[in-house]
Amino acid sequence: MKKWLLLLLTAVFALVLTACTANNDAGEKPADKDGEDKETETAEEKVLYLNNGSEPTSFDPSVGFDAVSWNALNNLMEGLTRLGEDHQPVEATAEKIDVSEDGLTYTFHIREDAKWSNGDAVTAKDFVYGWTRMLDPNTASPAAFLGYFIEGAEAFNTGEGKIEDVAMKAVDEKTFEVKLTAPTDAFLNIITNPSFFPINEKVATENAEWFTEAESFVGNGPFQLTSWEHDAKMVFEKNPEYWDADTVKLDKVEWAMVNDTNTEYQMYQANELDVSDVPSELAAELMDSEEVSIQDQAGTYFYRFNTTMEPFTNEKIRKAFATAVNQQEIVEFVTKNGEKPAHGFVSYGFQGPDGKEFRDTVGNLVEFNAEEAKKLLEEGMKEEGYDTLPTVTLTYSTSDTHQNIAVALQAQFKEALGVDVELANVEGSVFASEQKELKYQLSRSSFLHDYADPVNAIESFITGSSMNRTGWSNAEFDKLIADAKAETDAAARWQLLMDAEKVLMDEMPIFPIHFYNQVALQKPNVSGIVRHPVGYLDLKWVDKTNE
Amino acid sequence: MFSYTIKRFLMMIMTILIIATLTFILMHSIPGSPFNEERTTNETIQANLERFYKLDEPLPVQYMYYLKSIVTLDFGPSIKKPNETVNELLARGFPISFELGMVTILVAVISGVLLGTFAALRHNGIIDYFAMTFAVIGISVPSFVLATLLIQKLAVDYNIFPPATWSSPMHMVLPVLALATGPMAIIARLTRSSMLEVLTQDYIKMARAKGLSPFRIVARHALRNALMPVVTIMGTMLAGILTGTFVIEKIFAIPGMGKYFVESINNRDYPVIMGTTVFYSTILVFMLFVVDLVYGFLDPRIKLHKKEGDA
Repeated sequence: MKKWLLLLLTAVFALVLTACTANNDAGEKPADKDGEDKETETAEEKVLYLNNGSEPTSFDPSVGFDAVSWNALNNLMEGLTRLGEDHQPVEATAEKIDVSEDGLTYTFHIREDAKWSNGDAVTAKDFVYGWTRMLDPNTASPAAFLGYFIEGAEAFNTGEGKIEDVAMKAVDEKTFEVKLTAPTDAFLNIITNPSFFPINEKVATENAEWFTEAESFVGNGPFQLTSWEHDAKMVFEKNPEYWDADTVKLDKVEWAMVNDTNTEYQMYQANELDVSDVPSELAAELMDSEEVSIQDQAGTYFYRFNTTMEPFTNEKIRKAFATAVNQQEIVEFVTKNGEKPAHGFVSYGFQGPDGKEFRDTVGNLVEFNAEEAKKLLEEGMKEEGYDTLPTVTLTYSTSDTHQNIAVALQAQFKEALGVDVELANVEGSVFASEQKELKYQLSRSSFLHDYADPVNAIESFITGSSMNRTGWSNAEFDKLIADAKAETDAAARWQLLMDAEKVLMDEMPIFPIHFYNQVALQKPNVSGIVRHPVGYLDLKWVDKTNE
Repeated sequence: MFSYTIKRFLMMIMTILIIATLTFILMHSIPGSPFNEERTTNETIQANLERFYKLDEPLPVQYMYYLKSIVTLDFGPSIKKPNETVNELLARGFPISFELGMVTILVAVISGVLLGTFAALRHNGIIDYFAMTFAVIGISVPSFVLATLLIQKLAVDYNIFPPATWSSPMHMVLPVLALATGPMAIIARLTRSSMLEVLTQDYIKMARAKGLSPFRIVARHALRNALMPVVTIMGTMLAGILTGTFVIEKIFAIPGMGKYFVESINNRDYPVIMGTTVFYSTILVFMLFVVDLVYGFLDPRIKLHKKEGDA
């Protein structure tokens, strides 16, 4: 028996030893690297330390439709256009863009010096290959709908058409041409989206999984991927093949993957990160710090009424609830994250042909007014013949932020209307599916732009849209959106969109709370990190000086 | 012994199958789907995705695919991380969780047993009070509180250890401390109480009478019996710690497999839920099996094979 015991102990010991040696091996390499970093850093190497939160979902441009993938990928690759420091699209891989007179045909002339990180030239065929992959129904790309502006793309993606009928082609080695279904002002903006990045056809045909490891990854952006320890760390280095490499000042970007805001902040304090999110518990305290940067993000935090469920079938009762909400109070005392209160659905960040902000031109469409709210509620109840208001339940998906806002709304409804609203919270995924099935009376929601045009937000509420989720349907609104999409005159189109928002906010199937923003702590010696209202993190212009 | 082992092994397989089936049923009875997000994807695209992951098939058919995946040990691609298979995720995360877990268990067992033994030997003395106060604190302070405290003090304020991530032995110190304190305290308390009991037994008196050295009495005779309860809890403890602890791995940004348990459920990432559950239950059941075998070695009075042979 003792021998058995001895054997078992030895086995366990051996296991531990192997575990430890594995650790030593695994541990030494990065430790050595750190050492190198410090040495070379004194030799003026500029290394930016960032946190990506978690492992990117995918670096396949057609697949990873989220910030954790695209904030990084946006710096490894580049489309025909790229958002500039002023958030407007500028020529990138394309040197010159010709638009036909009817606004339908775009001809892109690709730069002679546009190169892949392996030295290959970026060709028009790489774009055809990349875009085809995105639209291919077999790729099941969640971003494919962005390509529906291209003639034939929707049919191909839904399996009804053929790839030959999609109106895009490589005219020659360096000329790429697409034809749209309707003139689209936002097209040059839309194609800055990573799903429109080119894919090196040669690399991808040799290795279909080219985007999964640093060794096989080939990009055409300001940086190249030199190391990728999955779930742990990524290292980007300046890409010498990039056509605009002179602009890029950083030598390296090291990305940690820390999925805990407090830890992230502690690493920031310990100088292991140059940028950090603000932990919500510390928001009030840190918001005034000089290291905080606040940027607009195009998107709205709002609530949906279910217009098919009493009492919100009544427009006046909907409006009563909406005007009982004090947005200013919520951003000031509840979220405390520096957001702008929302008095309309379309957020800031969209300039019309006249150069003015969409939001400013339309103005405030819903504002807190307790008296008006009370009056509207009485009128609404009379119209419906209610003596007492049916019970209202407000539902939100489980999270501290959502809960804080829900509780504040509950108090505001009580104060302004004298109505006791019940609160219910539901786990996120259940919430998303039940909201789509219109199972809730009043529920929280949010919208973040996919591309920089107000229509992206407003068209959510056309009849039958999967983003509608209110049961609301209005023929006038549907027509305004349809007209706007077909309108070739920019100013007229802008007007149609503004009218549409007014119709929406007049019947109020939703009410807004606040617009989103991007808040970050950033070391004072770092400059030039660009965060677009719609779009992804851009490090092309970043500089870091020695402290 | 042999027939017992075989029998236990078959029971293990049965248990895992039952757990797997229950998981499948529960997983599909909660509302929501992997593609249910705030940003709705177009219906056709969603249909494409569902077809790709065979989610458009009726549930019994999916169940058959699922059983097949268990038998072949191939859980297919993750839905949320489409470029990776569940096996790859586990193969990458588990060694790290295992490494952290092994070191933690070693630290917890060695320090826990030492602490408990000394406390028992100095029953009601200063060391005893100190050790037990320490143990009570260790049990009551949750690991995540300890973790945050350790990072704040030892990493941010005094800069002795790196605050997070996983790359060198120095990076292991804080998570191991945070993770080991709880189990160590439990082990210390268990060791102390069973040690106290054992020390009053006749055979210890006998050993003393024979004139054996106190060290030999404790190390060879007392401890061996006193460790029985510790071994009993070790099975579940090992399975829990080795397969990764979500909170600690999250706080210290350790790329282990702990996060897949929680994330996969939030995301309704069915293949990952199935993979992690089957993997975890296999380890748990296996550890319980090992514990049963270890009983026999520690206490010759427990004769597994005879009992089982009779039954």
